[in-house]
Parts: sequence; structure tokens; C-alpha cells
Amino acid sequence: MIAELGHLLAFLALATAAGQSVLGLTTGGEAPRRLAVATGMFSVLAMVALVISFVRLDFSVVLAAEHAHSLMPMIYRIAAAWGNHEGSMLLWCMVMSGYGAAAALFMKDGKLRDRALGVQGLLTVGSFAYLLFVSSPFTRNLVDIPFDGGGLNPLLQDPAVAFHPPFLYTGYVGMSFVFSMAAAGLINGEIDRDWARRVRPWALFAWSALTIGISLGAIWAYYELGWGGWWFWDPVENASFMPWLVGAAVIHSLIVTEKRGGMASWTVFLCVLAFVLALLGTFLVRSGVMTSVHAFAVDPTRGIVLLVGLGIAGGAALALFAWRAPMIKQGPEFDPVSREGALVLNNLFLSVAAALVLVGTVTPMFLQWLGEVGMISREAASLSIGEPYFQLTLAPMVAVLLCFMPLAQAAPWVKADLGPLVKWLMPAAVAAVLAGIVAMALGGWGVWLGFGVLVGTWVIFGVGFDFVRRLGPGGAGRLFRLPLTVWGMAIAHLGMGFFVIGATVETATRTERTFPLSQGQSAEMAGWTFEFLGVKSVDGPNYTALRADIKVTHGNTTEIIQPEQRAYPVARTSTTEVAIRKTLTGDVYVALGDQVREQPGAWRIRIAHHPLIDWVFGGAALIALGGFLSLAARVRRRAPAVTPATEAAPVAEPVGPASVTA
Amino acid sequence: MIAPLIALILQATAALDTPLPDAAQEARAQALMRELRCTVCENEPVSQSTADMAVDARRKIREQIAQGASDSTVRDFFVSRYGQYVSFRPPTDGWAMALWAFPFALLVGVGALIGLGRFKQRKRDLTPVPDDRSQDDA
Repeated sequence: MIAELGHLLAFLALATAAGQSVLGLTTGGEAPRRLAVATGMFSVLAMVALVISFVRLDFSVVLAAEHAHSLMPMIYRIAAAWGNHEGSMLLWCMVMSGYGAAAALFMKDGKLRDRALGVQGLLTVGSFAYLLFVSSPFTRNLVDIPFDGGGLNPLLQDPAVAFHPPFLYTGYVGMSFVFSMAAAGLINGEIDRDWARRVRPWALFAWSALTIGISLGAIWAYYELGWGGWWFWDPVENASFMPWLVGAAVIHSLIVTEKRGGMASWTVFLCVLAFVLALLGTFLVRSGVMTSVHAFAVDPTRGIVLLVGLGIAGGAALALFAWRAPMIKQGPEFDPVSREGALVLNNLFLSVAAALVLVGTVTPMFLQWLGEVGMISREAASLSIGEPYFQLTLAPMVAVLLCFMPLAQAAPWVKADLGPLVKWLMPAAVAAVLAGIVAMALGGWGVWLGFGVLVGTWVIFGVGFDFVRRLGPGGAGRLFRLPLTVWGMAIAHLGMGFFVIGATVETATRTERTFPLSQGQSAEMAGWTFEFLGVKSVDGPNYTALRADIKVTHGNTTEIIQPEQRAYPVARTSTTEVAIRKTLTGDVYVALGDQVREQPGAWRIRIAHHPLIDWVFGGAALIALGGFLSLAARVRRRAPAVTPATEAAPVAEPVGPASVTA
Repeated sequence: MIAPLIALILQATAALDTPLPDAAQEARAQALMRELRCTVCENEPVSQSTADMAVDARRKIREQIAQGASDSTVRDFFVSRYGQYVSFRPPTDGWAMALWAFPFALLVGVGALIGLGRFKQRKRDLTPVPDDRSQDDA
């Protein structure tokens, strides 16, 4: 019954979304608002119905039979509901209509809300149609109901990755509402400061959630895949990284549009592009053009439908843009050396970075396709683009961009005097150079290492200087009277500094060794002693593990750590559960390998040191936190005197992206 | 009862890895393992994969490095054997040069266009507008 109820709810959501789009784009007013809330509610309930089918192990539901299993712990039964193509599409629909419902609840009445709900309704209709007609999660199979299910891929049975999709989709699919706001502004012919002020909270929310989603994926890769890498430039990772880059450009260019009324055409174009890239990423992941842990839908028809949807949404938006762009007013003039100029630079770099990732991701697939249809030879079609390429092209670009960051923060609008700024930041530059040299001296004179630490330190000091400047003569007493947006910016930018240092130090100086150890033998690495105490067999809920006991000694501290190899009989695969000993300077990372054939009783123990790895994830967390703080500023703030037409709204309810009402 | 099955699964994923005695050589070998693709699992480097192909590749890389081969010799060996697909580093000759150059060309080109447009109309009489701290600083 539950699955049928879910199916019905999804159809209801399709119907209300259709009503929402028609009425939103025509009459507007209360009706599309109520319909948008209904769409949101129906889709949440449909998701709940699917989750219940998984939790109750209703194997007559095909999807549950394929992906749930009686021995899986509860959290993974829930996660399994969206850990597959159909279920994740329902999650997609839920997030998309959730944004519509949130907008209906929190946005102020008016043409912008009406049209945005209308466009969001159209996107929601498309998504639900795709869900229901091409990939329904509620399909029943009442013949030969299996005794037990197929289970979730053991690699995905992990807390970080269980919540990776909800965050990722909140970000990824959240770009749909930024898109809808852009389309609504274009339809109304009102792309101005007020529009920018009302779009920015949504962009901030989606982008910060995307940051968390991507980071959870990276953290998972770090400790679950057992080789200590956290980013591999896999096409799937790139698919989420492109909208992240464009989203970062959007939240910066929106500032110029909001504060100065400038860059409006460019901003609205970026808003469209962010969602188009999110759709393109989805196409790449789900069409079967690539193989990966994530690519769970290897079905060309689904891919074609997605491509058509992408074409329609993108094409319509660009046509709308071409039609309305001439109406968009130019902002006031500014000197190239100014806050505006710096933000143009930011957008230039971030857009080129997104183009780089796009080309680097799509080129090999395109060549492969050309080879398959026989347009080029097999050899010419054979190409891979991975870490070495992206590191050598993107890293210098990001480094140069970040060099401008402290200057940009301190530069006034319209026109800046570079001389005093540079002079004032001199101590930060000196600190950065010193830090770079120290890092090189400690880490073996790698150029990349020195440069990365230099840039990161420059950012951290520069942001700190700017923060102190903004405190003004009031000093620390003003600390909590600074606007939240200042806190948000400072924290996100600091996060970037920490991230860059962490990423370069970790990449340049991680060490790894494999030791064959018999019981009682020990190995030494980087001042640590590892004594192998033996391996025992342990039973988990749906796996059996071989667990090693390893006594780790460092100075006076001794600790037992237990890396595991887990065998999942249902899925017939094994996973590595590494043991990680955190220290202030990095992680000691121990993985249990296989038995040594030539040396009976001995096991290969892989020991790695990942210096400053927490700076990588901590930096990313700060970036997301900064984004959310800037968003919170909108929620808290009274209506600012941005435009004379600003509606003097009272302090909005501090729920969700409510700031839009401000 | 389940033990033989586990043994089987774990044995299937067994990898035979003996690091090179020379730490610098081992580091080079590991860097190469990270940029060569496991052709069986496709989206993993050989450093990470447990497939037989990857185990074999790791042994080959270490062998060649130990015999004094340069990084590019090792890369060329794998590319000639498995095709360009095996290397995550695109070639640096022929049309692939465009791949390496385009981001920088795009950056400089578009940057120059924007810059020229702006500098041409650069005016002296613009006055700076500082952030108003009492209001919203962004």
C-alpha cells in the first residue's frame, strides 16, 4: 500500500506543480503559492513512502528488493532509498519542489515570486515526469518476491556518504531556484539591485550546501577507499565541481549587482549557467557515458531524455536572456582598480576554471564517442585527463586569483588607490614569503609546496588584516557588532587559505609505506612505532571482518588501533576500514592489506602519514560556514536602504533562506 | 561456515606489493601509480585498485624504476601497451598542446578584452566609495 501511496503522491505533486507553473506564469498571487507548498508536501511524503518501503524491507517493491537487505543497519536502509538512480531522482524532485515551497513560504508577494514559482514549477514538472515515466521508484513486482534484497554497495555503507546525496542535491538542485529567479527577473524585465538582493540568499544557501556535499564525498573517499586520496578528478567529482565554481562566481557577482547595480547581465547569465552545468553533470553521471561508483543508471534512453530536458531548459533560458539582455541597465562606472574590478577578476578566473574543468571532463568522452561512431581511429580516441592535468592548469590559476583576494577585500568601490593598500599589506606579504620558505625547507624544497603555503599564508594574514581594519578604532569591543556578512566573508576566505595550505602540504609531503609484519614484529615510520599484535575475525551486522590489532607508540603515548578488512557476503565484495590516529600535524593512516605469500603468518600493513589533512576538510567546512553566515545576515537584517523601492519588511523569521523577505 | 567465502573474497582482492628499498625511487614509483589508470576498474589509478592488472602494473612500475628508467620511459611503456587511455596525463605534443594551453589563453584573452575596454574609458574623476560599516559590508 505504502508504495502505491507514494506513487500517487508523486503524481499529485506532478499535477500541483503543473498548476503552480501555469498560474505562477499567468495570474500569480495566492494560488500558485499554495500549489507550490502542496507540491513540496506531496514530494516529501512520496520520499517518506519510499523510505518506509526500504525500512520495512518490502521486497515486492523492485527498488527495495534490489537495494535493501535485512541485515543492513537502519541508517543504511534509509540511505539505500536514495543510493540508486530512481530513489535519487525522487530526492532530486523533492529538493526541487522543496525550494519552490520554501520560496512560497518566505518570499514577499510580488511578480518576482510569482514568476519564480512558475519557472520552478516547470522544472519540477519536468523532473517528476522524468521520474514517473522513465525511472519510477515505486514499481512493484508481485511474482517471485525475493527472500532478501540485494543490499547497498558496501562502499556506500558509511555515515558520511549516507548524507552526501541530500547535501549534494540541496546544493546542486538548489541551483534550479537560482535559475528560476534569473528567468523570473528576465520575464519581468527587472534585473536590478533589488533582484540581486533577493536572489543572493538562495544562491548562498545552495552553494554552501553544495560545499558540504562535495566535502562529505571527499572525506568519504579519504577514509573509505583505503588509499588516502580525497579528490581524484573523476568525471563524477568534476560534475559537481563545475556548478560549485560557477556558484562561487554567482555569489560574488551578485554582490556587485546588489551593491552597485553593476554586472547585471553577466550575473543573470551565470545564474542560468550554474543550473545548466548542474544538469549537464547529471547527464554525464546518469546517461551511462561513464562508469563509476556513482553511475548507477546505465540506460541510454534516460540519458537522451535528460539531454533533451537540458537542451530545453538551457535553450529557453538563453533565448529569454538574448531577448531581455538589452533591457538590463548598465551599472555606474568604475575604475579597473576597484572592488568592482577585483570582483570582475574573480569572475573571470572562476569562469575560466569552470570552462577548464568542463573541457577536461568532456573531451575524453567526446573523443571516445567519435571513436565509437568511427569518425576517428581507435588510437586517436584514446585519451584520459586526470590529476596531472588539472593540478598543472587549475592550481596556478587559483593561486593567482587568491593573491588578489586580500587586496579585493580592502579595496573601496569605484576606485582604489593601490599604493597604500599594497604598503599596508606588506607585513602579510613578508609573512607569506617566510612561511613559503620555511615550508620548502621542511618539506624538501618542492616549488609547489612553497608556492601553495605562500599563497595560503598571504590569504590568511590578508584576511586577518582586513578584519582588524573593519573593527576600526573600536577594537575587539566591536567584534560582535560587525555585520554577519563581514564574519561570513572573513571565515569563508580564511577557510580558503587553510584549504590551500592543507591541500598543497598534504599532496606534496604525504608519505606511504607498506610493511610485511608477522605477529610481534614492529615497523617504524616518521618517529612512530607500529607493533603488529595479530589479526582476529569479528562479525558485523552484515559483514565479517578481519581486524588487526596494532600497538602504536609515539613518545610516551601508546594506543591500540584496529584497521579492518570487511567482507560483505551478500554483495561479494570487501572493503577496507582504515584506522586513523589524529595528531595536531596530520593523520597517521593505517590499512590492513593482504597476507604475505612468501612469509606465512605475515600481513602487509600499509602506513601513511597525511600531514595537515584536517586543514583540507576544516578549510572546506569554514567556507561552507562562511556562506551560511552571510545568509544568516540576510535573515537577521532589517530591510536595508538599497533601493528607494525597498519594501520595509520587519525582521524575517529566522528559518531557512527566509532572508528573501527582507 | 562463512570463513572460506571470506577467505575467497579477500584473496581475490589480494595485492602483492613490495616497496622498493630506495625511498626516493619508491616515491617516484608511487607518483606514477597515481597517474596511471587501472584498465579493469577504469576510474581508479593503479595505486588504488586491487585488480590483478593494477597489481601487475605496480610491479612493472617498480621493476622499471629500480632498473633506472625515467618517469617518461615508464609512462611511454604503459601508453604503448594500453593506449593513451591508460595515462591520466594527456600528451604534451600535437593537438593535445591546445588542451594544456587553452585555459591560460582564455584567461589572458578574455582578461585583456575586459581590461582594454575598461582602461580605455578610464576616468580620473571617479571617487572611491568605501564600505559603509554601519550597513552591509560585503
